[in-house]
Amino acid sequence: MDIQSASVIAAALAIGLASIGPGLGQGNASGQAVAGIARQPEAEGKIRGTLLLTLAFMESLTIYGLVVALVLLFANPYV
Amino acid sequence: MSNQSEHTTPKQTEEEKLTQESAFSHEQKDPMAEYYQLQRTLYTYTLVLIGIVFPTVWYFYSLNTALNYLIGAIVSVVYLRFLAKDVERLGQQQQKRLGGKGLGIFVILMLVASKWQQLGILPVFLGFLTFKGAIIIYTLQSVFLLSQQSDEEAASIGD
Repeated sequence: MDIQSASVIAAALAIGLASIGPGLGQGNASGQAVAGIARQPEAEGKIRGTLLLTLAFMESLTIYGLVVALVLLFANPYV
Repeated sequence: MSNQSEHTTPKQTEEEKLTQESAFSHEQKDPMAEYYQLQRTLYTYTLVLIGIVFPTVWYFYSLNTALNYLIGAIVSVVYLRFLAKDVERLGQQQQKRLGGKGLGIFVILMLVASKWQQLGILPVFLGFLTFKGAIIIYTLQSVFLLSQQSDEEAASIGD
């Protein structure tokens, strides 16, 4: 297998694996947040603020995988 | 003259009471005020970080690298804005994906950075991470403020 083919497979694995965990986490956090807002509407601002911070942290994990995949595809140092 | 002052004083106190009550009821009616305050704080921290890092990079590296950083940082502010809007609309209307628009902007930025020779991937990406620095600063600040408050409360109870 040449380096180009390996890079394409590695890019697919990077973005695919990097989005599984954050995807599950974001869905879980959002669902819990909506349930919390439904239970306590007066705490909506606090819940949404916490959700914003946690989502930003979780999404950055996907972004790391995305960066690795894009570098492998478009700026590969080994090709 | 003295009668006039006697008349105005209770009127003023009534007005003050009314404004205080309206402010209190406004706070009660708007549970999202804290969320908007958080958004403003995050934007402020991000802009302050940009203001600190941009001249530093310009001084130690070059103007080109600093401008690359600035592009990434501006996109990070836009990304944060999209994410905040998505979180604000969560549960109010049907959404296909949370944070999809922001991720799309980031993909476009990285594609342009990798294809355009004048843009470097690393400074653009590090510029994009500026919003994360702002979030970490905010989190650390709130954690330390909370621990300080709890220490003060414990000390006052002990006294």
